[in-house]
Amino acid sequence: MKLPAKLPAYLSLALVAVVLGILIAFQFRVTRHIEQGVPAGRAQELALELRQLEKDKSKLKAEASDLNLKLDRATRGQAEAEKALEDELAKARLLAGLVPVTGPGIEVTLDNPPQQPDGKGPASLYTIRDEDLLRVINELRGAGAEALSINGQRIVAQTEIRWAAPFINVNLTRVVPPYHILAIGEPENLKSALEIPGGLVEYLRDLGVQVSIRPYERLTLPGYTRPMEFRYAKPVLKG
Amino acid sequence: MWLGIWLAVAGLVLGVLLGLNIPLVLPQVYAKYLSVAALAALDSVFGGIRAAMEDQFDNTVFISGFFSNALLAAVLAFIGERLGIDLYLAAVVAFGVRLFQNLAIIRRHLFKKIK
Repeated sequence: MKLPAKLPAYLSLALVAVVLGILIAFQFRVTRHIEQGVPAGRAQELALELRQLEKDKSKLKAEASDLNLKLDRATRGQAEAEKALEDELAKARLLAGLVPVTGPGIEVTLDNPPQQPDGKGPASLYTIRDEDLLRVINELRGAGAEALSINGQRIVAQTEIRWAAPFINVNLTRVVPPYHILAIGEPENLKSALEIPGGLVEYLRDLGVQVSIRPYERLTLPGYTRPMEFRYAKPVLKG
Repeated sequence: MWLGIWLAVAGLVLGVLLGLNIPLVLPQVYAKYLSVAALAALDSVFGGIRAAMEDQFDNTVFISGFFSNALLAAVLAFIGERLGIDLYLAAVVAFGVRLFQNLAIIRRHLFKKIK
C-alpha cells in the first residue's frame, strides 16, 4: 500500500480544508451580518440627519418656550385689562347709584304737623310739599352727601321729586309721610348744614313740620332699581 | 488517491460546522481580509489535490504555501486599503486564475484515471 506514505500529505490537506471550512463559514456569517446591518455610508447619512433634526428640535423648543412666554404675558395683560374694565364699571355703577351703598350718614325724618290731642285738628294746616324735600336734598348735596334716598327710593341723576296731589312721586313711586331721608356723608357736616341758624330746619319747624335728625355710624341705601335707558341721547363720538 | 479527496471533503465539512458553531462574529472591517484568506486557502487545497495526483506532493511546501499565500493576500488587502487601491483584487485574480488552472488539471487527471 502506498497509503501510509501519503497519509501525512492527506492529513495536512484535511487540516487546510478544515481551516478553509472555518473561514468560509465565518465569511458566510459576516456577510449575512452585513446584509442585516446598515451600510456605513447610510449610517453616516442617518447620523448627519439625526444631528440636523436634533438641532432643529432644540431650536423649535426654544421658540416654543419663547412663544409660551409671550402667550403668558398676553393673557396676563388681558386679565389685567379685564380687571381694570371691571373696576371701571363698578366705579361707574357706584357713581350712578345703581348699587346699594353703605357708610356713615344721617337720617332726616320729616312729618306733617301733628294732630292736637284734643281733636282740634292739626297744629298747622301746612303739609310737606315736594319743594321742601327738594330743598332738603339740595342742602344735603351741598353739604357733601354722596348718596341719598327718600323712603327707600334712591336719588339718582334721573330722579324726579314731583307733587302729584295728594302724593309726592319719587322715581315714579308714591311716597307718603313720614319722609325718611337717608344721606351718606360726613354726619356732622350734613347735620350742621341743616341745623344752621336761619337754615332749613328752622324754617320747616316754623311752618309746623316735625323734623328730627339722627346721625348713624352705618347706613345702607338701596340701589336704583328702575331700568335706565337713553332712547334719544347718544354719546358724541370724538373723531 | 480517493482517500485524500474524501479526507479533504470531510475536513471541509468539519470546518464549516466548526465555523458555524463558534459564537464569534468578526467585525465588518475584517470581512475583506477574511474573504481573501478564504480564497487563498481554497487555492492551496486545489493545488494540494493536484500535487497529490501528480505525486509531487510535498508537505512542507504545501503548508508553508498555504500560510504564505493567505498572509500575502491579507497584507495586500491591508496595504490596498491604506493606499486607496483595491489591491486585494490582485490576490483575487491570481488565486482565481490558479484555481481554474488547478481545476482543469485535476479534471484531466481524473479523466485519465477513469479511462
